[in-house]
Amino acid sequence: MSANILTQNDIRHVDYKDVDLLKQFVNPHGRVLGRKRTGLTAKQQRAVEAAVKRARFMGLLPYVQK
Amino acid sequence: MLKSADHMTDEEKLARIYEIGYHISPAVKEEDLEKIVGGIRAVIEKAGGNFIAEGAPSLTRLAYPIEAREGGKRVEYDRGYFGWIKFEAEIAAVRSLEESLKLKDILRFIVFRTVREDTRAKMKAPTLREVKRTDTIKTTRRAEESAGPVSEEKLEKALQDITTE
Repeated sequence: MSANILTQNDIRHVDYKDVDLLKQFVNPHGRVLGRKRTGLTAKQQRAVEAAVKRARFMGLLPYVQK
Repeated sequence: MLKSADHMTDEEKLARIYEIGYHISPAVKEEDLEKIVGGIRAVIEKAGGNFIAEGAPSLTRLAYPIEAREGGKRVEYDRGYFGWIKFEAEIAAVRSLEESLKLKDILRFIVFRTVREDTRAKMKAPTLREVKRTDTIKTTRRAEESAGPVSEEKLEKALQDITTE
């Protein structure tokens, strides 16, 4: 029983275009939250990290935010 | 060892699922967007790829300014036409695609392996639900207010009824 956002909404693939979803895994500065905060499994966390990095490269998410 | 080598060649022959995301420069006119997208599609088609899904380019605000070279000058853009195409192709096709995409009208692009299924999350953003909730509260308040002013006689009568009981 894990109560993280991905399992709750039955999301199997994390897409870098889903900016609103990814924003829930980054803090106000734009850094990815740790697993303790996200409650994700290791596999999910890796998928989120990859998606956030793709979104950053494509200018959909910030690298840093003051 | 031999087995793994065989496996590798098999996999290389197999078509793989890729997705390309791109930003077209905002300096391009909207009528000309289709021409550039058509150019990308032509490269994939020429290399024997099949299309799976596509998102039409739409003007998107960038999270940070992206620099581009236009002529000799460097220009910074804070927005771009973002679109994507999901397709099936061989490895060689992707290499030629990456080479051909280094055009001046494309600010930035990304090509990566993905899966055939639709990867977009079918989830509503929780903020949307909150907005709805505040709306309903407002309407109930209005309903109470619209009951209108109560005359003093009626109010006193009601008070007396309560106190006598």
